[in-house]
Amino acid sequence: MGELAVSAAPDEELVSMGLGSCVGVALIDRERAVAGLAHVMLPVANAAYSAPAKFADRAVPSLLAGVERLGARRPAIVAVLAGGAQMFGGDRAAARVAGLDLGARNEAAVRAALADAGIPVRATATGGGRGRTVRVLVGEAAITVKEAGGVELPLWRPGVAADDLVEIS
Amino acid sequence: MNVQYDEQQLDALRELASIGSGTAATALAQMLGRPVELAVPRALALPLADALDAVGEPDAMVASVVMPVGGDAEIVVLLLFSYRCAASLCEQLGVEPRSELGDSALGEIGNILGASAVGALAQMTGLALEPEPPHVLYDMLGAIVASVLSATAGELDVALVLDAELSVEEAACGLSFLLLPTAGGVAELLGRLGLGAEG
Repeated sequence: MGELAVSAAPDEELVSMGLGSCVGVALIDRERAVAGLAHVMLPVANAAYSAPAKFADRAVPSLLAGVERLGARRPAIVAVLAGGAQMFGGDRAAARVAGLDLGARNEAAVRAALADAGIPVRATATGGGRGRTVRVLVGEAAITVKEAGGVELPLWRPGVAADDLVEIS
Repeated sequence: MNVQYDEQQLDALRELASIGSGTAATALAQMLGRPVELAVPRALALPLADALDAVGEPDAMVASVVMPVGGDAEIVVLLLFSYRCAASLCEQLGVEPRSELGDSALGEIGNILGASAVGALAQMTGLALEPEPPHVLYDMLGAIVASVLSATAGELDVALVLDAELSVEEAACGLSFLLLPTAGGVAELLGRLGLGAEG
């Protein structure tokens, strides 16, 4: 939560378990098997210091710098997003807990930061009202997602259009 | 932004956790007509990433009741049960688990536990605390807890977790009772106990 990890080790997996309104941002170099994953909690930072990936506007540049340090090259880097759910339904009390549409605002902030960096978003499993676990298989440059109560499904892998993968609501 | 609580403040917060969860345990015992045991309450000030791990396995599916509290201090009351425990509580109350009635029974348990704990805190601190209607949710523990902590921690990188384990005798049912105050909420609570930042 609020942290990020990068890896170029083929047998490694990067995992964010139990994403609710948080957004898991995966950056992956399609050709070099370098990947990174950040667990973003809130859209925009206005504090001096914070956990490295807590805020979308800081997490994306940090994650990008991290994968580039491991040899990822900008034109081959794509982004995959999971999470950003509205966990507590639409009722008034719930909105007081998690803020109105915190999940959607997190996703929008992540997308804006990626657009600023020129990184395309290739697949998403976002929105809805359920938690998710996202897993990045570094060696295969592949990403899976599991929704609460569901099974693990492929979300993205290199060379396969997102449309050809199992539809994830 | 970083914040630190000293030992004296954490002791006072642990005392609040103890009184809040003790009151909640008594309320649950009355509701079920069974003894409820309370395990040592904790007051933890942890970096966000560690706070989630301290609560439980992020991937685990749990039943939860979330109850926001407004007024002079903002706190979220959170109850986490295993599915088995949620089902067992519903059965003891004579309703079908995972049904509309079952969910409203769980919500009612949350309401009674949360309101009694919050009432005890209000009495102890003199703060006006207003519990709002509870929300029942079945999901991954991490998704529930992290979503609440995102809101309560706000700009802070430290989450304050006040929690206790309640177990219902004869039902092999354990539940976690958590009080998650915002940073402002903690300051209000400590201020009323004479342990505020200004002394």
